Amino acid sequence: MKRAFSSVLLAAGLVVLPLVASGPYYIHTFILAMMNIALASSLRLISLSGQIPLAHGGMATIGAYMSALLMMKLGLSSWLSLIIAGLGVALIATLVGYPFVRLKGVYFTIVTAFFGEMVVLTAQQWQSLTGGSGGVYGIPGPDPIVVPGLFTIDFSSKAEFYYLVLFLVAVNLAFIYAIEKSRVGLTFSGIKQADSLAESSGIDTIGFKVLAFAAGSFFAGIVGAFYSQYISAIAPDSFGFMFTVYTLVYMVAGGQKSFMGPILGAIVLTLLPEVTRSFKEYVPFFFAAVLIAVIFFVPDGIAGLALRTTWWVSKKLGMKHA
Amino acid sequence: MLEIRGLTKFFGGLEAVSNVDMTVQTGQIMGLIGPNGAGKTTFFNLLTGVIRPTRGSVIFEGEDITGKKPHNVAKKGMIRTFQATNIYPDFTVLDNIVLSCHLRPGVGFLETMLHTRSGRRKDREILDRSLAILREVGLDGLAHVTARNLAHGHKRTLGIAAALACGPKLLMLDEPLSGMNGEEVTETMKLITRLWEKGMTILLIEHNMRATMSLCHKIVVISFGKKIAEGTPEEIKAHPEVVKAYLGAGHA
Repeated sequence: MKRAFSSVLLAAGLVVLPLVASGPYYIHTFILAMMNIALASSLRLISLSGQIPLAHGGMATIGAYMSALLMMKLGLSSWLSLIIAGLGVALIATLVGYPFVRLKGVYFTIVTAFFGEMVVLTAQQWQSLTGGSGGVYGIPGPDPIVVPGLFTIDFSSKAEFYYLVLFLVAVNLAFIYAIEKSRVGLTFSGIKQADSLAESSGIDTIGFKVLAFAAGSFFAGIVGAFYSQYISAIAPDSFGFMFTVYTLVYMVAGGQKSFMGPILGAIVLTLLPEVTRSFKEYVPFFFAAVLIAVIFFVPDGIAGLALRTTWWVSKKLGMKHA
Repeated sequence: MLEIRGLTKFFGGLEAVSNVDMTVQTGQIMGLIGPNGAGKTTFFNLLTGVIRPTRGSVIFEGEDITGKKPHNVAKKGMIRTFQATNIYPDFTVLDNIVLSCHLRPGVGFLETMLHTRSGRRKDREILDRSLAILREVGLDGLAHVTARNLAHGHKRTLGIAAALACGPKLLMLDEPLSGMNGEEVTETMKLITRLWEKGMTILLIEHNMRATMSLCHKIVVISFGKKIAEGTPEEIKAHPEVVKAYLGAGHA
């Protein structure tokens, strides 16, 4: 009951956020925070099966280019392009996933990192398709949503983009939550704990690992596609290697064990550096410091810290009530 | 039920398993013994597809399953346990079994996500089946304990229970009694006998000679990757090659 109430309160807060935020710059920051939530949460989805890829930026890049080119070269609608970009990235992840997931632990991570770099280089070199290092400009925004007689959303303001990304993140989180709580999630966790045992009890561990990789990459592709429609431009290094590493930091600092971890990590670590803009060139130092602090002092991340604080506060309050 | 012909495995130049023939009859408890390093676990790995044999074939219920992937071998009904990592440590005892029920008519992805009635019913069935298996092996009182906190003997029993949850036709136990105390050994032997009485075919690797001799109907002895003897427990006890392999040449 208490939990449902706080969820409703949180949702209401997120919905009215653009109305109270002072200026488009802050709304832009909130949009980035939302994108990072989707990326960090989908990265965690993959990590549930015991593998940590560093290809998330690469997957977002593919999604961004795919959506942009589908709209500009084939004239598809923005919504169709968004979905096809997500599915296209999932397909690519499936194809490269079959050889990749056979490698375990750090070897998988290394190979996916190279894959991410390969995507960047391909986008730079394949000039006839991608426009080379300059990237693609003038990407149209999302097609207007018209409900006759009621309202029209034409994505002319940042607030409209904020609501779109809020919707995408809500769908993304609902999916990830459902997967985690299903038998598929149980199977991922089993594979993470003892993959030879899972394999011997009839579970196609390679297939499930590829499924996790493809599902997580799907959401990265969607985020990339959204970004290209939002910024109306995409360059090969828009989602470069450091971007991928940041996504990993959001997840680890937020707390890999819990569903809320990457969400909190992405919010805190996206908003904090933006609060003081002069601080911006020190962002990598800041991230490193947060990561070290988390590893040493709160191994279960920001989510674990939040949980413990809530517990502590409610205990204090409970004593007063008694 | 299971027929093994000329099974051979080279690791580089080393012949770990050498031209082994063996047959497991339905309804039998077959033992596989041999000194440390004789190639028993390698043999299990060859049968279940964890590693590919260099030569030879594995026929299960008339079908050649040589070189099939482990999860496909498991689907045919050959389920093994492991000596070491035989449980999911972070799951509860119950979830260990629930996940191992994977081969049962599974609950579809959409069914789970949408909480359909058929999905809930199947979830219920899997839960009931899991609890029944835990009762069978005597772990029902520990259903909600996290597996890593179990005593060693209980962990081993849970490994067997998880294998049972897969619905095996042939249950392959890799040293199920290792590290157990006397009482646990007795309990596990009773469990194995009970399973056999219910019609389970069992292939057993074991170090405990007393247990192997009293449980098994037939025993194959392996030494340095070669089959050196096969027969009933009485025949094996009297076999000169076996005595030599276990006690050294001087005693033969």
